[in-house]
Amino acid sequence: MLRIDLHPTHTSKDGKYRLRVGKPLPFGATIVPGGVNFSVYSRAATSCELVLFNKHEDKPCCSIAFPDEFRIGNVFTMVVFDLDYENIEYGFYMDGPFEPREGHRFDHTKILMDPYAKVIGGRDLWGKTPDWSDIYQHRARICFDDFDWESDHPLETPVEDLIIYEAHVRGFTKHPSSGVKHPGTFAAIREKIPYLKELGVNCIELMPIHEFDEFENSRTSPVTGKLLMNYWGYSNVGFFAPKGGFAATGKFGMQVDEVKTLVKELHKNGIEVILDVVFNHTAEGNERGPYISYRGIDNKTYYILTPDGYYFNFSGCGNTLNCNNPIVRNMILDCLRYWAADYHVDGFRFDLASILGRDQNGAPMHSPPLLESLAFDPILGKCKLIAEAWDAGGLYQVGSFPAWGRWVEWNGKYRDDLRKFLKGEPGMVGAMAQRLQGSPDLYQWEGRGACASVNFITAHDGFTLKDMVSYNEKHNEANGEGNGDGSNDNYSWNCGWEGDTQDPQVNRLRMKQMKNAVAMLLVSQGTPMILAGDEMANTQWGNNNAYCQDNEISWIDWSLLNKNRELFEFFKKIIAFRMAHPVLRSRTHFLNRDYVGSGYADITWHGARAWNADWSLNSRLLAFMLCGKHAKCGKVVDNSVYVAMNMHWDMHGFELPRLPKNLFWHVVANTDAASPQDIWPVGREIKLENQFEFLVGPRSVVILLAK
Amino acid sequence: MEIKTIDQDGVMVLQLTCNLDGNTAPEAQEKIMPMLVAKCGLVMDLGKCNYISSAGLRVLLMVAKQVAAQSGKLALCGVSEEIKDIMDMTGFSNFFETFDTVPAAVEAVRKEA
Repeated sequence: MLRIDLHPTHTSKDGKYRLRVGKPLPFGATIVPGGVNFSVYSRAATSCELVLFNKHEDKPCCSIAFPDEFRIGNVFTMVVFDLDYENIEYGFYMDGPFEPREGHRFDHTKILMDPYAKVIGGRDLWGKTPDWSDIYQHRARICFDDFDWESDHPLETPVEDLIIYEAHVRGFTKHPSSGVKHPGTFAAIREKIPYLKELGVNCIELMPIHEFDEFENSRTSPVTGKLLMNYWGYSNVGFFAPKGGFAATGKFGMQVDEVKTLVKELHKNGIEVILDVVFNHTAEGNERGPYISYRGIDNKTYYILTPDGYYFNFSGCGNTLNCNNPIVRNMILDCLRYWAADYHVDGFRFDLASILGRDQNGAPMHSPPLLESLAFDPILGKCKLIAEAWDAGGLYQVGSFPAWGRWVEWNGKYRDDLRKFLKGEPGMVGAMAQRLQGSPDLYQWEGRGACASVNFITAHDGFTLKDMVSYNEKHNEANGEGNGDGSNDNYSWNCGWEGDTQDPQVNRLRMKQMKNAVAMLLVSQGTPMILAGDEMANTQWGNNNAYCQDNEISWIDWSLLNKNRELFEFFKKIIAFRMAHPVLRSRTHFLNRDYVGSGYADITWHGARAWNADWSLNSRLLAFMLCGKHAKCGKVVDNSVYVAMNMHWDMHGFELPRLPKNLFWHVVANTDAASPQDIWPVGREIKLENQFEFLVGPRSVVILLAK
Repeated sequence: MEIKTIDQDGVMVLQLTCNLDGNTAPEAQEKIMPMLVAKCGLVMDLGKCNYISSAGLRVLLMVAKQVAAQSGKLALCGVSEEIKDIMDMTGFSNFFETFDTVPAAVEAVRKEA
């Protein structure tokens, strides 16, 4: 049917373009029959012009003022007909008051990017030095949204069954050893899918892939002389556009299709995609920062401002996005819905999520409307919502993040307690019992279940696994901040020598400690997360904050895979063990009793003597048994599992709990044994000769299976 | 733009001599779509196509979908390495069979028809 409203009613002043009043929703640029619908919000702007460029050209090809009658409420909206929309870039001039004390910073000379831009040019090739004289650095483009998904659908894997693999798009394959066609790109991740499958992870969590400027605050390291960049990308230019410089096809402007193809292919292989999203601040910095978009479109709406009009800095990055302003809240919601519906992503990890719960004055709220909206949103209804439950303004909400039964958390306490236990600190046995059970001390009071806890030992922030067992102190000199950046609370232990060594004893112990760590992680209730590269002992040479290092420090060195094959095999098998045994993947917390009549409680605690865990201050021994008949709340029958952890420097005998007749303990893993006897493949576990006691080596973990 | 049509033993070979982008895509689509009849056998020779943009790839995909809907058979040939690479990374290649030469493509289409 032909629409009668698809005829132009106006002509641009220069006579070049035919126009019509647009639709205010959706915001952004939308291809409509015959043209493009532009729509942008500003409450305080007095006028607005659409600026058009031919792709890559220095100067605009035209500028079209929105006629007064094209403003609906606080929205400027217009259809421009007959645009060659593949070859144009667009922005806005906005006029309005410059009254910083009132929160307004309009500057009609700046070309502003559309906050809803779905493709952003300007940094198409990673690392290509920008032309700083360019009057429009980050250029909104028009997006084809007709990707053919065929039958693809988000996987909706229960969160407790996930094994998350955290990776940086560029760092994952940029190293020359990665052996891919287009290193450091989305396309290259696709090439590594067989590797991910072999490892056994079923979810990849990508560090920020929204458009950012790798040249933001770029500088030369006084120590190494290398260029330091905004490499991690925790600083958004635009929330709706994928990072062009991460796409092999970025120079052709086809990053949208490349990302969607990656997601589709990962899904085909049973791997979910979670995006690390950064809604706490933008790349515009404080009052000295550049005009990219938000500041010039409606500063007062988008940022939390002090009473005299400066920027609050709860993010540690210069400004704070005004997340609980209704306009910004809707933008965040639109953004996440767009990624969920148009990109089929399976979930989101929210960076410094506690900021999302602050009100417009910066005070923490009891029931933050944004977090509630996300929890109950229909389109996000099956998406994983993972909070980094703290911010740089001192709010720490692990265990108390407003959840509405939907939010799960990065469990920072898990990381810290496990590290302390691993290095042999006294007094950790009680805390470990909590962490191994999915931290009921943190999450049970609200009935959130073990699945509320995303367990991790390492993440992009902090040491890699290898560095955690190789360094007592951070070594961030290359960052050029006098080693003052990065966390000092690493709870790491170098095993006797700071840094790289040829000492075989130290190296053996490090290898064992890495296996101990991942073994404990994979037998813990909750959702495990692994940092990419840890499975091959990737090192950052002690740098625990590699946010600016676009070089060998942060790129995964794939040659380590051969060198540390033993560790990779251990990772692979312990992951397969977890996936084979639902008793390790409970959604709810244990009840500490037998509710299926098996004769054993769901979880029982042991030590050197069975049924008698030593909870005293000096104890470094702990064992537990999971009753297989209680797997998934008794809905599934599994084998029983026994895990003995000896974090003492001497060998200790562990008396084993007796099994019912016809069942015997079999060894799954013993980190004290040399590879390949350190871990056995699923189904090939070795029956124990001595069913009554196991001698657990110094600083070792033993896993047994009853069958 | 020019689209040459050659009938090779019942297989239609379309030779495109232009860049396929936002400017030419609508016209290409308009010209090609009516040719896609039931059980058609079609080869698109892109050997003289230096550049195919996002909009151009979408026309090719549209053709592929239409041919499939008509229970026909489509093959591409003469696709440059660069375009092949772009098609791989953006998922378009999943929808096409590509051959190095026109005869190979014609042969493949005929076999299926």
